[in-house]
Formats: sequence, structure tokens, C-alpha cells
Amino acid sequence: MDGHVMSESERIALAARLHVALRRKHGRVTDTEWMAVNAEYATEMVRFARAHAADTHDDELAAIALRLEQAMEPLARAARLEAAARLPDGSGRQPPPKYIGGLR
Amino acid sequence: MALVPQASISAADTAWMMTSTVLVLLMTLPGIALFYAGMVRRKNVLATMACVVAIAAVVSLTWFALGYSLAFTPGWPWLGGTGRFWFAGFDYLKDAGTLAVSHVAPNVPETVYAMFQLSFAIITTALVLGAFVERMRFSAVLWFALLWSVLVYAPIAHWVWEPGGWLAQMGALDFAGGSVVHVNAGVAGLVCAYALGRRRGYGREPFEPYNLAFTMAGASLLWVGWFGFNAGSAMAADGRAGLAMLVTHVAAAAGAASWMIAEWTVRRSPSLLGLCSGLVAGLVAITPAAGFVTPPSALAIGAIAGLACYWGATGLKRLLGADDSLDVFGVHGIGGIVGALLTGVFADKAISGASGNVLTQAIAVGGVAVYSAAGTAIVLFLVRALVGLRVDPDSEVQGLDLAQHREHIGG
Repeated sequence: MDGHVMSESERIALAARLHVALRRKHGRVTDTEWMAVNAEYATEMVRFARAHAADTHDDELAAIALRLEQAMEPLARAARLEAAARLPDGSGRQPPPKYIGGLR
Repeated sequence: MALVPQASISAADTAWMMTSTVLVLLMTLPGIALFYAGMVRRKNVLATMACVVAIAAVVSLTWFALGYSLAFTPGWPWLGGTGRFWFAGFDYLKDAGTLAVSHVAPNVPETVYAMFQLSFAIITTALVLGAFVERMRFSAVLWFALLWSVLVYAPIAHWVWEPGGWLAQMGALDFAGGSVVHVNAGVAGLVCAYALGRRRGYGREPFEPYNLAFTMAGASLLWVGWFGFNAGSAMAADGRAGLAMLVTHVAAAAGAASWMIAEWTVRRSPSLLGLCSGLVAGLVAITPAAGFVTPPSALAIGAIAGLACYWGATGLKRLLGADDSLDVFGVHGIGGIVGALLTGVFADKAISGASGNVLTQAIAVGGVAVYSAAGTAIVLFLVRALVGLRVDPDSEVQGLDLAQHREHIGG
């Protein structure tokens, strides 16, 4: 990666490429727009594409999956941080914001 | 204050006091430097560390020029004499076979005793720094350390630890500095926080600590160094020092555990910073009691202090409204008060011959707090007149590493 953060339209273009490739090579139908904005869904589609690429020795499909994974990384990181910020009691509640008006 | 034959010195006591001096100095360099630097924002890490090193240097000079004599030579109930001003009297005479000893610690050379007490003066002044980090001018920090160590710390040390001091005469118990070090630093920190005002963005923006791993390393050095602080205050390598070491460890563990339980209950997650803060709370509270209490009492003191300081650094902090940046009052002030009062409750006459009195302890805490607050306010007034207290707003936004020192953390 060159450190360039992709715009949403660039992510949609990559998701569309993966959508077409999966439809053509496997018959799998995906939701392009959702894939470009939801890190969890994109991660699962990348995993699926990689598995199929490994089975069929398809370097082109693996390369598209890698590009989408890289493009989605900022969104995936934000999702991980949000999950880590949730209270670990399983309630899903958000704790008060940290380090505002005090360290402890 | 006498010259005695060199043969009268205890080699074991001297070795232990020299070791303790090194341990206590390690608590500041690098203990406090790491503990504090880990909690400030990235742009102020080096400035915070620079302040700790500078305070150690400035206080070392004021101590041997003025402070030691004012604190530990006989004089008046309020202040010591001038016999050790300007580095005078630390004699070691080979041909005569004599050396100077202090009347407070006649079994060790006075050079060692003065160095041991210096390490306390350094750490007390360095502790105050935590209340005003990220906004005080470096030149103001230097002037503050110079004036505060002489005008505030030395008189209070005299009151409590020199046998002629008024609190010592009254029977106040403070084995290693619950009032002299922690109540004093905590109250001074609170006054500084009010005087300097809040940091820009305080209460609105998150002030993300740079690296709590630094803070953990610093807290660990404090825990280990505290054995010199408390067991060294026995002034001898004896059974009482051994007991002080044991109760110190028990209280630190109890403080860490009780803070952790409180935080886990209230916030649903135990934090590393909470564990570090809790162990320090336990150590602070056992400091005045270390040579007077049994291990079960130490467990109670540490556990109570962990809970009290958790409240001090959270609920009480919000109540006070001051930007005491690193919770000097919440941890050291509250921990010191709790420890001093509980020393009056738990002091066991069988250990030292001294029994505690809560009223006497409360008077000592009150006297120290009032003098520390007034003295610190006067010192800040003088420093403001000399160089100004606070950096300009642009420097504060840029960060003190660059604005005050023209240095920054790489990477």
C-alpha cells in the first residue's frame, strides 16, 4: 500500500470488480454497494474469494480480493476500535468517553 | 551534629542506608519520569522528563546549600539552624579518625544521612510536577523547585522528623513521609492546579496518554524503590526495617487489588493504569505507618487507600474542578491523609514503643496541609512575578517538547 486512503467511489469500483469476478467464476451473487461500506461483509467476501481462488489457482481473483482488503482496511480498523471500546460485559453498552476531564 | 570516632559507625547500617538512598533516587530517576511521561500527551513527553531531571538537579543544590540545615539541624520548633548552610560540616578527617554524624542518625555518617534525606526532598518536589504538567514554563518549574524545596519542604521536614520540631514534640507519627512527602506534595499540587488553570481543551477533548507502558515501568520502579523509602527510614539494618519492608509490600498489593476491584465493579473493566495507581495508593498510605504497624494492619491500610484514592482521582476530582493533570492530590494527597490517620488507628506499641493517636495525627495532617497550601501559593506568586507561570497558548497547542526544548520524539 502507498498510504493513499481510497474514496468511497474507488472502494465501490473494487467491490464491483470482485462482484463480477465471483459471479463469472463461481456463480456467487454479492451486494456491491454494501461490500464497499461494511467492513465485516467485505472481509467475509474477501475470505470467500480467496478460498475459491486457492481451489482454482486463480491469481487474478486473489489479486482483486487483496486490493479490496487493502481498500477496506481503514473501515475495518475503525470497526475493531469500536468493538474494543464496548464494555466487556456483553451488554454492548458504550462506556463514558475516555480521557476527557480525567485520566482514571 | 558532632564529630565521632570512625569506629563508632555501624558498617551494616551505613551499607543499608546507602542502598536505600540509591533505591529512593531510582524512584525519581527514572521512576517518576517514566510514570508521569507515560500519562501526558505525546507532544509533552520529553518536556515532562526534562522537568524531572531539572528538579533533581536544582533540589540537590538547594538541599546542600540551605535545605538540609533548615530541616535537620537543631534550631526552633518551626525551623532548623544554619550550621550546615553552604555544604558546611560534612567532615571526614582521616588523621583524626573522626567523621560527622547527625544527632538524628548517629550510627551512619552524616554524608549518608544527608544524601538519604536529599532523595526524599527530590521526589517530593518532583511529585508536585504531576499537577501542572503540559502548561508550565520550564523556567517557572526551575524557580518553583528552587523556592519550594527550601521554603515549603524543609520546614515541614523539620517539624516532623527533627526531634525538636513541633509536630515531633507533639508525638505525631510519620515513619517515612506520609505527611512530609505525600500530603505536602498533594496539597501543593492542588494549589498549583488552581493557580495555573486548566489546560486548553480540558474537559472537552480526550487527552490521550502517550504510553501507559512507560507508566507501568515507572510504577514498578516506585514499588521496588519504596523498600528503600520505608525500610530505609528505620535508619538501621535491623528487624524494624525488615518489618517496614514487609508491610510496604503487603500494602502495595492490597492497594492494587482494591483499586482494581473498585474499577472493575464501577467501570466493568480493570485497567493497567488503575492497577498502577492502586499500588501507588497502597504505598503512599503505608508510608507514615511502615515502622509502627503489623502486616494485617498494612493489608487494611492498603485496601482502604486503594478505594479512597480511586474516589480521589475520579469523584473527588470532578468535585474539586481543578485540572490536577496526573492526580497528584487524588492519589498522594488522599493516600497521605488516609495513611496518616490510619497510623493513629493501627500503630502498635509493641513494635516501636509509640502508640498512635488519631487526633494528633489529624493535627499533623492539618498543619502540614495549611502550611503547604499557603507556602505554595506564596512561591507561585513569586515565580509568576519573576518569569510568569504559564506558556503562551500557541506553545501549549504545539506542545512543550518543541516549544520549550526544541526536541521531539522520533518516529
